[in-house]
Amino acid sequence: MPEIEIPVGPQHPALKEPIRFVFRIDGEIVVGAEPRLGYAHRGIEKLGEHRSYVQVLYLSERICGICSVAHTTCYVETAERLFNIEIPPRAKFIRVIVSELNRIHSHLLWLGILAHEIGFDTLFMYTWRDRELVLDLLEMITGNRVLYAINMIGGVRHDITNEMVDKIRKVMDYLEERTKYYKRVVQEDPLMLARLSEVGILSRSDAQKLCAVGPTIRGSGVKTDIRKEDPYAAYDEIPFNIITYTEGDALAKTLVRVDEIQESINIIRYALDHMPSGNINIRVPLRPSPGEAIGRVEAPRGELFYYIRSDGSERPYRFKVRTPTLANIPALCKMLEGVYVADIPVVVASIDPCIACMDRVLLIDTNKGTWNILTGEELRRYSKKWYEKHKIR
Amino acid sequence: MSLLLEFLKIAIYPGVLFIIVFSLFLEWLDRKIYAHSQHRIGPLYIGPHGILQPFADILKLISKEDITPPHVDKSFFMLAPPVLLYLAILGMFMIPLGALGEPYALLSFEGDYLVVLTITTLITAFVFAGSWASFNRFSALGSIRALLLMVGYEVPLFLCAAAVALDAKTLCLSRIALIQSTSPWFIVMQPIGFIISLIALQAELERIPFDIPEAETEIVAGWLTEFSGKKLAMIRLAHDIELFLLASLIVTLYLGGPWGPMGPSALWFILKVIFVIFLSSILRALFARYRIEQAITFFWKYIIPLSLLQVFIALLIPLV
Repeated sequence: MPEIEIPVGPQHPALKEPIRFVFRIDGEIVVGAEPRLGYAHRGIEKLGEHRSYVQVLYLSERICGICSVAHTTCYVETAERLFNIEIPPRAKFIRVIVSELNRIHSHLLWLGILAHEIGFDTLFMYTWRDRELVLDLLEMITGNRVLYAINMIGGVRHDITNEMVDKIRKVMDYLEERTKYYKRVVQEDPLMLARLSEVGILSRSDAQKLCAVGPTIRGSGVKTDIRKEDPYAAYDEIPFNIITYTEGDALAKTLVRVDEIQESINIIRYALDHMPSGNINIRVPLRPSPGEAIGRVEAPRGELFYYIRSDGSERPYRFKVRTPTLANIPALCKMLEGVYVADIPVVVASIDPCIACMDRVLLIDTNKGTWNILTGEELRRYSKKWYEKHKIR
Repeated sequence: MSLLLEFLKIAIYPGVLFIIVFSLFLEWLDRKIYAHSQHRIGPLYIGPHGILQPFADILKLISKEDITPPHVDKSFFMLAPPVLLYLAILGMFMIPLGALGEPYALLSFEGDYLVVLTITTLITAFVFAGSWASFNRFSALGSIRALLLMVGYEVPLFLCAAAVALDAKTLCLSRIALIQSTSPWFIVMQPIGFIISLIALQAELERIPFDIPEAETEIVAGWLTEFSGKKLAMIRLAHDIELFLLASLIVTLYLGGPWGPMGPSALWFILKVIFVIFLSSILRALFARYRIEQAITFFWKYIIPLSLLQVFIALLIPLV
């Protein structure tokens, strides 16, 4: 059989968000993969330059619906550096608790999607049912299920009361049991093993060379975690382990995430036990002094990076976000070489892609260094010419 | 008068109408069991407990626009759905349903067993023809997978079928069922064959863990991708009837057909079919999906040696 090209996306049942891959396949084996990004570009960075610091907080929360806490935490940590303020210790602990609840919800959601990709819909339904409990907790604490709006520059908006602590503990006990069960399923179910082990292998050196982040690189045996390396919120006061597996395949990445749920449960318990009392937020000035700041946060998918530059006005002069999925795309293309067509969804899912997070890239013609605004008719003619030149039908 | 009776038998009970209605009921049952084992509710709104949902699905598909893409090979593309439906119903005619207490099926002759087995193969052949005619990349991949999978499950299915025929000493399905009304059911003597047939049923009907030809997360709808409207409705219906056909084949071969200790035979038959569907739905909820080469390896490494063993045991049984 000759090589055929299979387009996957921008709309495809295996991808919940718009991204396009063209796979060159030989029989059932992928020979090459070519990604194309940018379908969900929303111009958020530019929008950020036209809004006040408080408004950008809400904008950043809307970059991603799943790791929304990671985005706001990263934004407020960066902004607090810019404003040069220290937040109350209780606020730091609340940030940790909400962040870890968010991580549990994200990992459970991801485990379900992975199960769906390999046709194991029963596990999909089970994990999503348990995830509901975490969403209920987050709703109890913040009042919202998806966009929590708990972080503010200078602290957090809602306190965790004693009744809430009891409820959180109860759910954590239940989730710990479930996590152990899921770990057993992943490690022992023969079909899970057959579909996940030795699939989409990313070697340790490749992972480092291609700058993978988060569970993707930890699954290749590299011990890195922003929570330990560059602690933010109260992570420097809380003991926890960095989970690594050395195999680098989809199974290792799955186990990293399942174990991280367990670590998150431990972190939440420790934080609940050691939460200091006091204020949860402080007042901040409207304008920061001119300067720039960066912030890094370990989002559920890996390292999240923010940069804000201030010119002394009430709006950021420049606002830049680098999300973990974008950092993992080169590693993903490497992982896709040589896998079976049937494994494409598993491998793509194994980096836990979040396309809407990622698509804020502006592509500029680097040869000419310019960009033109075309009318609709010009654009139509240009695309016709381009396709004729590239012979793509 | 007898002509009218014959016509009613073919058209209504135990003929076409009964087969279609009961197949739709089985689809509902399958979906409901599958949903409940996943902590879901399943069909709920149409009819009591959503029992009319499969019927509503078919009606909806019929009312939808029926698209024939310009690039398809029209003859096979148009032909495949009705032929699939026809083959499935024809196969059902040869199964003894125990209707009206009659021991023989509507179409019963020495060798109908072979015809039913041929029909199961022909169904896959027409699946391939219809999807290959679609000229779609996803369909092409799906149809190749369907054929490859057939290489896996067909051999053990036929070997187990041979094992039953060897012991029953007949190639007539109705007589195989009749034999079991006096002697123990074949599941007692050939349990391996029963289990292998259940696994082959999952593969033949493209159910988890063998839903490889229509793995939606990999190749969209697989071989079904280009079908829509009435054609898709016919394929869906044919698929339901095939489920009924294979479940009743297993009931006839291993569970004594329509014969039970007491009561009407038609009721026994229905209860046994429901039992087989129950087992199949639970299997569906338990597993993830194999990759195609893993499925073939599974069949050739484990299932085919086991079915050869079953044939060997079947040869020994008359000697004991």
